Amino acid sequence: MSTRVTIAQVRIDQSPAVLKAYGLGSCVAVALYDPEARIGGLGHLLLPNRPERNALGSESKYVDAGILEIVDELLQAGASQDRLVAKVAGGANMFETSYQTMIKSIGARNARSARETLASLGIPLFGEEVGGNRGRTVEFDLATGNMMVYCARDDDQVSI
Amino acid sequence: MPFRELNSVQLDTLKEISNIGMSHAATALSQMIGQRVNLTVPNVTITEISKVPEHLGGAEKMMVGITLQILGDARGSIMLLFPQESAHRLLCSLLGHQEKGLVMTEVSVSALKEVGNILASAYLSALGNLLNKTLIPSVPLLAYDMAGAVVDHVLIDLSQSGDFAMMVETDFGGEPDQDLAIKGHFFLLPDPVTLNIFLSSVGGSV
Repeated sequence: MSTRVTIAQVRIDQSPAVLKAYGLGSCVAVALYDPEARIGGLGHLLLPNRPERNALGSESKYVDAGILEIVDELLQAGASQDRLVAKVAGGANMFETSYQTMIKSIGARNARSARETLASLGIPLFGEEVGGNRGRTVEFDLATGNMMVYCARDDDQVSI
Repeated sequence: MPFRELNSVQLDTLKEISNIGMSHAATALSQMIGQRVNLTVPNVTITEISKVPEHLGGAEKMMVGITLQILGDARGSIMLLFPQESAHRLLCSLLGHQEKGLVMTEVSVSALKEVGNILASAYLSALGNLLNKTLIPSVPLLAYDMAGAVVDHVLIDLSQSGDFAMMVETDFGGEPDQDLAIKGHFFLLPDPVTLNIFLSSVGGSV
């Protein structure tokens, strides 16, 4: 059974489910997994950091807040924070940019925010497939904790 | 103003603004490729950001995306999307003989960017005249990848001011023969401040 995780969404599930995030550009997909309880979560996250004030809309579009949300939900579902491991994919820069905009390095900033948030929670990062200028589709298998990353343009796939 | 709260008169206003802009853009494109280009009446949709890839026919569909920023008296971005078959047909019209499928060479990238530039410039100049504003397009940027990956760039911009996106979508196609038609989506993504400027310039109450 596979469940789709759309933009600005986080989902958790337990083995034998598969969580999928399609068409990641500068967005990042953050997967958290408890290998013993075999439960995990996937977030399709959009913006690096939740602003301290006047945050508009859903929490799960921010990388930092989204990761906390997944961790909370996993702990409630019976995972242990000591056992959680993480994998991250996405954070590309789809458009080559020659002028300065805020958007310029949003992919890289998303990936960095993911690493920092995970480090602050003491969750080890087991693998990443980030950066570059290619779009990615991610399949996170909760039976194995394996993350498949597909790149349609290069017809490439990577397992992390 | 949150996009959600737009009333039907305001949506019609935006549709009409877009209609005028698009017809200028279509004329420019038809002169460039030497064949008639028709356009359908634009659709103004307010949708959750997470649903935008679905409106484009699925997050994994391969698309050519050309994006430009709107500079000058208003801010926002423009995103043009061509499904890969349409991008290929467009290149055949522009460059003559082409490879069988869509191959991104320096020449084809440059030609497609130029199409984006012409459409956006024609659109923005019509819009600017109507609203009495100076609207300037930035240099076009191009990506050829999955639809979801191509559009999340503009969604990130929008998501900073809420969870909704406004898409002014226009389909254009010249050939009555569906197999040969060039289809594209044109998105105008004004930031919320700019949206107010648009609406107040045409007398819609804000």
